[in-house]
Amino acid sequence: MTAPHDPSSGELVRLVAGREIATRIRDKGFIISSIVILLVIVGAVLVQVLTGSGEDQRRVGLVGGDAALVGALEAQGEALDVDVEVVEFDDAAAARTAVDEEDVDGALLAGDDELLVHESAGGTLEAIVQGAVGQLAVAEQLTDAGIGQLDVPEVAVTALDADAAADQQQVVAAIFGVVILYSLLILFGQFIAQGVVEEKSSRVVELLLATMRPWQLLAGKILGLGLLALGQIVAIGVVAVGAALAFDVVDVPGDLISTVAIVIAWFVLGYAWYAAVFAVAASLVSRQEDLATVLMPTSMVLIVAFFIGIQAASDPGGLLARVTSYVPGLSPLVMPVRQAAGEVAAWEIALAVALMLVAIVLVVRVGGRVYSGALLRTGGKIKLREALAAERA
Amino acid sequence: MLEFDGLRKSFGEVRVLEGVGFTVQPGSMFGFCGSNGAGKTTTMRIAMGLVRPDAGEVRWRGRLLDQASRRRVGYMPEERGLYPKMKVGEQVAYFARLHGLDAAAATRAAGEWVERLGLGARRDEQVEKLSLGNQQRVQLAAALVSRPEVLILDEPFSGLDPVGVDSLAEALLGQVREGVPVVFSSHQLDLVERLCDSVGILARGRMVATGTVEELRRREAGRLLRVVVPDAAPGWADGLGGTRVVSERAGDTLLELAPDTDDQTVLGAALRTGRVTHFAWQQPTLVELFRGAVAAPAGAEVAA
Repeated sequence: MTAPHDPSSGELVRLVAGREIATRIRDKGFIISSIVILLVIVGAVLVQVLTGSGEDQRRVGLVGGDAALVGALEAQGEALDVDVEVVEFDDAAAARTAVDEEDVDGALLAGDDELLVHESAGGTLEAIVQGAVGQLAVAEQLTDAGIGQLDVPEVAVTALDADAAADQQQVVAAIFGVVILYSLLILFGQFIAQGVVEEKSSRVVELLLATMRPWQLLAGKILGLGLLALGQIVAIGVVAVGAALAFDVVDVPGDLISTVAIVIAWFVLGYAWYAAVFAVAASLVSRQEDLATVLMPTSMVLIVAFFIGIQAASDPGGLLARVTSYVPGLSPLVMPVRQAAGEVAAWEIALAVALMLVAIVLVVRVGGRVYSGALLRTGGKIKLREALAAERA
Repeated sequence: MLEFDGLRKSFGEVRVLEGVGFTVQPGSMFGFCGSNGAGKTTTMRIAMGLVRPDAGEVRWRGRLLDQASRRRVGYMPEERGLYPKMKVGEQVAYFARLHGLDAAAATRAAGEWVERLGLGARRDEQVEKLSLGNQQRVQLAAALVSRPEVLILDEPFSGLDPVGVDSLAEALLGQVREGVPVVFSSHQLDLVERLCDSVGILARGRMVATGTVEELRRREAGRLLRVVVPDAAPGWADGLGGTRVVSERAGDTLLELAPDTDDQTVLGAALRTGRVTHFAWQQPTLVELFRGAVAAPAGAEVAA
């Protein structure tokens, strides 16, 4: 047997982190929830695909008529932002069957200028067919009247805010990101808090503190679960981007990827802060039943941040979004939305990050003292001031 | 040598320890007794660095017991502490690693101890599924797995059935034979009397008695006299000078004699009541020593 050595801080932190990860990874609830989250993401992208492109497509049957009519139908469709597919039939009977079987949305009998539909044509279909037939008729009559080349000015379209559409997609991605960020912060915050209380209520903490310092225990727990949380959000990001690309939902993949990266970066900052606060709050109680009460204030902050984040999506430049995007604790859920909407200067991001880092350092330092003062005190709820005093004792 | 030296500790206004000191020789077992709230747990927690003393220190081999050397101490807290959902074998191995064993050695040592304490079949069970007695064994395994140089155990026998007590006692004696000093606290004084080489009694924040059971006995012996006089009227000994009646039931009388009282005067008085079936100095049990020591007023502290 090799002689025991004195483990360094790093080793102890790694041991604690390793135990946290090993315990969670084998937890069925954790595995199932992870898979469910991934499925929900893929599902959400699929819904986007089905509702987004499925509606704007029409199959139009055509009996008789020439290439000009086919061209006119397609052109008309394009003008109305609808994909028109023209299917030619030999006679009216075949077209009628196809309409009955809903193989096509409608059939145009070119000779009779009659449109066969199953129940009702619907505005779009009628507009397309009417427009195409009318246009052709006008052109024919003009030709007949000897006016061959009609010089109709074409309207040039100039987009004043060409990025808006792409930004909009990024904002949607950012909202998704905020929802996931919020869920993971709550989930892992709970994990941390439950872990701390478990150690207190089972009194194992006394055995642990005989071999390590409170900050090593705290750091190990936060790092271990943090790595797991990071793994999860990266997996979610990869799956979401992959699905979005595979189903061709986004126009500019690069922007989506950068939004995902921003969300992940803010998650790291947000997690560090919330995890420390949750752990410290949890150290004040000894029973799981009392946990909800001490976690309440922090959970409220998280919920408020979440709603501001969602609200910021519709008004990223508004006063509320601007102010809260600097406030530590709120910024991780607001700033990513503002960044995605593309209305932030670099200095604003830098300021928000800097404030958040300061807040993390503060929480870890003050919180670490509360944590060490409170860990060995059991029974009832300990007041913050008592815990700080106990640490110095 | 494990030395507890001049430990003082107050929690707010409450003075828990007022200069607690004793030493434990390597390869000996020290029984730490005291009423509830006397400060035993605080003393042990100070040794484990869980409570900071206001004054005094704990030394091992002449050097301050610090974070590094504490890793060589096996500790069992009063409130048992294990991860309820962790498997037995993994849990013991985890504590071995916290005490500085590398992964392979920790797994091996955990396997050995789990086997040795009769938990081999339960190695892969979660601790919370075990009986209390078996959980206690896991706790012991966690304390012993890193081959500690010192053992500090807070109430290790509480909650154990007689068989459990015997196997724990056997394990502790095994450690003592290997030269490990063992300190444990207990309310089961018969057990302390049977197992310990020396005993310390803590009362009101001070050690009111330390020494071997034999030494404590010698100090107290010659003070308690048991006289059995079946025919005597109740209260027969009340008028005797220099004695105090500790108990009297149907003639079975326990008397405490003042130092200069002649026991033969008592015998004479007893004979005057009729038959005397028993007349002897009482060998005090540790329980009686304990009662005497704990009941003594503050300031009357004596070290044997």
